[in-house]
Amino acid sequence: MDIQRSLELLHMTIYTQSISPCGKYLAAGNNYGEIAIFSLSSALSSEAKEESKKPVVSFAAHNGAIYAMVSTDRQLLSAGNGEVKAWNWSEIVKKSCKEAWSRRPPYGSRLEVPEINSLQLNLKDNSLLMAGGDCVIHMMDLETGAFTREFQGHTDYIHCLALREQLRECLSGSEDGTVRLWDLRTGGHVQSIEVHKYEECSRPQNGKWISCLATDSDWMVCGGGPALTLWHLRSVTPTTVFPLPQCQQQAMFYQDLILSAGHSPTINHLQISGEVKAQIPCIPRCVHSISINEHSAEHKVLTAAGSSHCIDVFTNFGYRAFSLTFT
Amino acid sequence: MSSDSSKKRKPKVIRTDGGPQEGKRSRSDTDQDARYYSEEAEVDLRDPNRDYELYKQTCQDLQRLMAEIQELKSKGHKDSATEIEERRIQSCVHFMTLKKLNRLAHIRLKKGRDQTHEAKQKVDAYHLQLQNLLYEVMHLQKEITKCLEFKSKHEEIELVSVEEFYKEAPPEISKSEITLTDPHQQTLSRLDWELEQRKRLAEKYKESLANKEKILKEIEVKKEYLSNLQPRLNSIMQASLPVQEYLAMPFDQVHKQYETARHLPPPLYVLFVQASAYGQACDKKLAVAIEGNVDEAKALCKPPEDSQDDESDSDAEEEQTTKRRRPTLGVQLDDKRKEMLKRHPLSVTVDLKCKDGNLLLLTFYYLMNLNVMTVKAKVTAATEMTVPISAGDLLCPDSLLSCLYPGDHGKRTPNPANQFQFDKVGILTLNDYVPELGHPYVWVQKLGGLHFPKDQPQNPVIADNSLSASHMERTMKLLKTRLESRLALHKQFASLEHGILPVSPESQHLFPAKIVSHLVKWTSLTYDDYLELPYTKDVIEAGLAEDTHLYYLALIERGTAKLQAAVVLNPGYSSIPPIFSLCLNWKGEKTNTNDDNIRAMESEVNVYYKELSGPKPGYQLLTNQLQRLCIVLDVYLETETHDNSVEGPKEFPQEKMCLRLVRGPSRMKPFKYNYPQGFFSHR
Repeated sequence: MDIQRSLELLHMTIYTQSISPCGKYLAAGNNYGEIAIFSLSSALSSEAKEESKKPVVSFAAHNGAIYAMVSTDRQLLSAGNGEVKAWNWSEIVKKSCKEAWSRRPPYGSRLEVPEINSLQLNLKDNSLLMAGGDCVIHMMDLETGAFTREFQGHTDYIHCLALREQLRECLSGSEDGTVRLWDLRTGGHVQSIEVHKYEECSRPQNGKWISCLATDSDWMVCGGGPALTLWHLRSVTPTTVFPLPQCQQQAMFYQDLILSAGHSPTINHLQISGEVKAQIPCIPRCVHSISINEHSAEHKVLTAAGSSHCIDVFTNFGYRAFSLTFT
Repeated sequence: MSSDSSKKRKPKVIRTDGGPQEGKRSRSDTDQDARYYSEEAEVDLRDPNRDYELYKQTCQDLQRLMAEIQELKSKGHKDSATEIEERRIQSCVHFMTLKKLNRLAHIRLKKGRDQTHEAKQKVDAYHLQLQNLLYEVMHLQKEITKCLEFKSKHEEIELVSVEEFYKEAPPEISKSEITLTDPHQQTLSRLDWELEQRKRLAEKYKESLANKEKILKEIEVKKEYLSNLQPRLNSIMQASLPVQEYLAMPFDQVHKQYETARHLPPPLYVLFVQASAYGQACDKKLAVAIEGNVDEAKALCKPPEDSQDDESDSDAEEEQTTKRRRPTLGVQLDDKRKEMLKRHPLSVTVDLKCKDGNLLLLTFYYLMNLNVMTVKAKVTAATEMTVPISAGDLLCPDSLLSCLYPGDHGKRTPNPANQFQFDKVGILTLNDYVPELGHPYVWVQKLGGLHFPKDQPQNPVIADNSLSASHMERTMKLLKTRLESRLALHKQFASLEHGILPVSPESQHLFPAKIVSHLVKWTSLTYDDYLELPYTKDVIEAGLAEDTHLYYLALIERGTAKLQAAVVLNPGYSSIPPIFSLCLNWKGEKTNTNDDNIRAMESEVNVYYKELSGPKPGYQLLTNQLQRLCIVLDVYLETETHDNSVEGPKEFPQEKMCLRLVRGPSRMKPFKYNYPQGFFSHR
């Protein structure tokens, strides 16, 4: 391997992952704008070799880092510096990597191209929500490709988005320290929670930014500079503060647990009551992305990626089975 | 005897035993000579069982008569005398009968014996016959196997195949109509054909021999002519010397060098020829020369068989003398090692001159018994230089040429066969002898045309001209770059040690005008020290730090913040960049394991090094990387969010122009400097 590539591997950060609709492939995007496709089915098969843990195909997708990816039932959508691009899964699987389309939210004139930090599919409206550097949430109609709505209000850039499907509400967490709720039908601003103002979870030494967000009916978990906290949304009260000293980058509800990860080489399994049930060690020193393959029962695995060129695969969520690696 | 008895008794007995006897006799009369009575014949006619009955009857009668006689006698009657008499007569008759029967029994016994004997003899005869026959069978079988095992001489002769035979042999030999069906005939005719062919070939051989003889004679004649020519040419050469000197054309000198070159071992010869060819064609400043004792080399060049004999002889002598003297085993081994590591008395020196007058002096040696070449290097600088402490390793001949090609450390012998030789004399690795012998780099072997395949250690390796030629240009260029880059580093180190970053004017646009952080310390580090640093783990695990590389530690300071940078300097600098690992001491220890921004700072100098190479060929890279480290440290410190809970002003007020302070999920700081606008942005 040439020296340039080995240095790139040494300093690689994988920000996002997405699983194909068939559940057999995993796409991962890194800070150099490359998307690599791994075959979960061959890596998990009994006769898996070292070779099957390397990308099936990898291609340069964006200029600059890729921060967010989601999969629709046909396409892989990736976003980085100011642009969303779509790739057809049917073509990716055949190793031909031509973008299907690319869109750029209306940014106006700026010196710098704002990044897109989060993508969220809104299946009910067949639309895509995206948010990032311009502090605005853009809604794009997937049918026409037109940007239909904007949600303005954050005063600093947006880290993450989450959806409450029953209420047709969208949540956003931002560098400005607030979590805001938006009504998707009217486009109105519903509520703003200033997380850092609550003493239970505020950690001024880390800052006030909110970098992870997840919802489940009336419950929300969010964290970042402030400690990871479980909120009851109707009463807007922090119910549980989880005892994790590090800043968390990613959180999700899974069955009756909350999985979170961040600035420590562990995947944290948390109970709603606030106990840390387990901390599973993994390779990346800082985890930016965890994902669970819900599409395929036989390949149901947890994958975690972050500041490393390795993507850890947990077949049983209790320990790291092996790693997929960029080459 | 029987006949005697029969004669005697012939007339005496006339048996009155009844009809059958009478009948028998009459029959025997008709069968035999009627005049004699033969008891033997009678035996045949009588039934032994009946005789037995008769015997028993007679015995009973006798007993009865005896009893009666006794009874009468005991009575003592007078008139009983006649009765007794009568009875006596009767008993006499009975006795006669008993006697007769006794004889008959005797005769029968004898007859039986005779018959048995006869039969036995017959059996014996048959048995003997059987034995004879068996022996004969065995003999015949042996003969048969002997015949079967018979090997004909013709089977050893290699014949042409059948198809070829039919194709080439003339029909009068092949006789295909007979031989196709009869394999015996076929073999015979094939043999005929073989004989025919061999005869022809023998004739040809003779012809060729004669031809050879003739040519040899011709050569002889021509040689004589040439040897006559030599003195004349010599005299012409002598005469031309003043002219050469006058015209300043050093033909003779070159000629002399070529003369010496003849005594070079093949690899050095290849190197010499190729290097001087390259020098003449591409690089006029390249000077190639031969050094060493020519006479010794000439002695070595004597016919190899002789010298080998000598060696074995001397070995034997040595053994004898050692037996007398008995030196310790260690001394013997030492001698053997010395013998094994012996260099050829001649060596080739190559002087590489750079543009600025610096000189790289390479001396190539050939280890005769190991069949490898080694090189020693020396640098002569054009101008006197002060030697920075940390630059100690930069120009030392030991590391100067290491890893000229990736992975070529020159510490192990490239010839796989050597390991077996070493085992014999107890040398563990060649590494212990490298300072004395020079480094056996792989590229040196290639320049000498020696190529050692990895998988076939036993193949004899011969010096190959084309291999050397194909590597000459690239290697010479690499050598020059290596020297220049090392000298450039040497110069940079001198100022780095004084905390000065000598940024060249060509690279000024890469950096803003105001840089507050500054280099404080620049020291060299040992490999082991580097391994022990807690923040270098990633680089080591990625396999980018090896013990052939050079290691340094830089310290950059701004106020209370201290940034340590451990640097791996690959010998292939500057095509392979130095790799930095950072550790920031400010509000706790921050490394790439706990701070993504430190990791980003590392990648800023490690991954994006190509922006920093400066003017070609990029020898300024190290200085520029350090300079960029100072800037990114400034950015890091100035953009750190101020914790409002802590009293007092910010230690590092923001002076740099930044579009945004943080960006993206990992909250990166804007480390990228934009020229000429002079602001910082994100990558």
